[in-house]
Amino acid sequence: MTQLVQALALGLLIGGVYALMASGLTLIFGVMNIINVAHGALLILVAFITWRIWSLTDIDPILLSIVMTPLMFGFGWLLYKGVLSRISGSSPGMSVLLTFGIAITIEGVLNVTAGNRFRSATPSYFSESYRVFGISLPKAQVFGCLAAVLVLGLLYIVLARTWTGRAIRATAQNSSGAALVGIQAGSVAALAFAIGTATTGVGGSILSVLYPFFPASHYDWISRLLGIIVLGGMGSLAGALVGAIILGLAETLTATYGSLQWSTLIFYGVIMVVLLFRPQGLFGSRLRQDVMA
Amino acid sequence: MAKQHKPGHVARGGWSRSTVRAVAASAAVLLSVAACGTKPSEEAGSGSDDPIVIGISLPLTGDFSQPGGEARKGYEIWVDQINADGGLLGRQVELKITDDASNQDTVVTDYTKLITQDNVDLLLGTFSTLLNFPASAVAEKNGMLYVEPAGGAPKMFDRGFDKLFFAQQATAEHQPDVFVDYIESLPENERPKTAAYPTQDDPFTTPVIESMQKQLEALGVETVYTTTYPADATNFQTIASAIAAAKPDLIAQGAVFEDGVGLVRSLQQLNYSPKMLFQTSAPSNAAQYSDGIGVANTEGVFYTVSWNEKANTPKNEEFVAEYAKRFDGGIPAEDAADAYAAAQVVQAAVEAVGSLDQDRLADWLHANEVETILGPLAWDETGAPTSDFLLAQWQNGAVEIVAPADAATTDTVVAKTPWQ
Repeated sequence: MTQLVQALALGLLIGGVYALMASGLTLIFGVMNIINVAHGALLILVAFITWRIWSLTDIDPILLSIVMTPLMFGFGWLLYKGVLSRISGSSPGMSVLLTFGIAITIEGVLNVTAGNRFRSATPSYFSESYRVFGISLPKAQVFGCLAAVLVLGLLYIVLARTWTGRAIRATAQNSSGAALVGIQAGSVAALAFAIGTATTGVGGSILSVLYPFFPASHYDWISRLLGIIVLGGMGSLAGALVGAIILGLAETLTATYGSLQWSTLIFYGVIMVVLLFRPQGLFGSRLRQDVMA
Repeated sequence: MAKQHKPGHVARGGWSRSTVRAVAASAAVLLSVAACGTKPSEEAGSGSDDPIVIGISLPLTGDFSQPGGEARKGYEIWVDQINADGGLLGRQVELKITDDASNQDTVVTDYTKLITQDNVDLLLGTFSTLLNFPASAVAEKNGMLYVEPAGGAPKMFDRGFDKLFFAQQATAEHQPDVFVDYIESLPENERPKTAAYPTQDDPFTTPVIESMQKQLEALGVETVYTTTYPADATNFQTIASAIAAAKPDLIAQGAVFEDGVGLVRSLQQLNYSPKMLFQTSAPSNAAQYSDGIGVANTEGVFYTVSWNEKANTPKNEEFVAEYAKRFDGGIPAEDAADAYAAAQVVQAAVEAVGSLDQDRLADWLHANEVETILGPLAWDETGAPTSDFLLAQWQNGAVEIVAPADAATTDTVVAKTPWQ
């Protein structure tokens, strides 16, 4: 019984962090039809910067996300205006090619500047746990998950309660309709991309504490995150959360009651079954092509 | 949605321009991966003054970029040193290194091209069993000597190849022998009674751990936990709790790197410290390992390794000094040393045979022992090496070799301390 509760608790903690990492990816896809393959590389970039600042100053890496988030917001804005806006309106396939190029560029720059070796931030609490009713909750994982919940909550409020958020959602649901009521697609897209990128400011900071990383780690992360948003429904924030928790639970439950080797198979098995019955993913909405200009 | 936009003139103008750029960018990537250049070298052994060209494909990008980059450093230090000493057979040596992006298909293309189009005189191997397995088949098919610095999985050597040589001391299944010998040398009451064997699903770690389990069970060490996890596993808390529940005296993990750090961190979080800890290659990553788990927590950790910077082997001191000079005082990674040793093996064969005749080079290596910075290496008829690895242990924040006796840098073995 304790074993089951332990596995569930860990699965939820892990899933929370995955959800945060996937949220920016799904947001960007939802609004712009851009599959941002560079999302993993951006996470690793932030992790490197966070790790560097932490090792020089000893400032808590997860707290550093307060600085990294606005920085990444600005970086995302520039990236969109400078590079991605040039392919707006072309197929998602083109965005994969372009953002893959950005990912390789970031990996290369990190290789040259930061060095091709493993890093991980180890603040004093990284090896400690809270013990609650006989189950242990690693502090770093708890802090990471709390930060993730906070950011996801903020993101939800921005999207659901502000005019900016309504404009973003309107563009995601029907870009032509949004344009008809006076929403400028260009600036909404830039904003959504910047917000999506800003989430890597928190995600990357947490990653630097929880997982050892090196420049090429982004391939592992992007494949995991794409799996999550396909399962949850591409473009859906709630879908990213549920998809991430399913992956987290698949990892901890298979490791507890079988072998971790099965977790990947089970996760993708769930994706296949879901896609058979709901091709748009758990929370994805079918686009009504007939009302689109 | 995109479909409706395409016919528009404005959209099309921007679209095709960016298409061109994207295609150009991807083409550039492909080209750099396949890195061509067509300077065919002269017929081997013709006694010309042209440089001897050695073809190598390495994973310089992608998953294995870290060891691949280290291997490249090892090869480059070797080639500069040999050229400064007057070259090989009186000719200068040139390396032709291409990037296989850690991809099995690309490595096959690379070696095929190096052999058939670039007509290189010699080959050196790439990194990991995954890449060396297909690459060595290309070399064998083309009758080229193939000395590999890594790739010790048993399946490499059951294909009946006669031009393949593994330039380390032992294949994966014999890698733990030196640790098992150490356990056997302990008085009965000091030996671990129980052991847990978590391992990554990796052709290099799994055979090591399986072989260790079999050998230790024969010594009477009871197995209380085993598991295999995939290469992309990042969360180790559940495995750690299962291990903590089984309370083994010894944890022997088949760890590549992140997984080694990840499991130790999770064990720390649970405050379960085994009496003995062995990990395959993670602890050999010097500062990256001690930074990852905290230097105080490295005390007493065992691993087996092919090379050590303090080892008193021919050329080792020069190699370590040159590496430090080039890379800000850094200590070479094991992969750099293994690559250097592989090049030394080829060098020894070429100098002894006096030509670049691939058959004679292979025959010579099958019959002779070669002195390298790893120590003496010799091979059986399959190209599998026949020596023993070194048993290393973290002591006081540094690595010492504790066995075998003739290579040991210290004669004390310390006990593992609890997590700090």
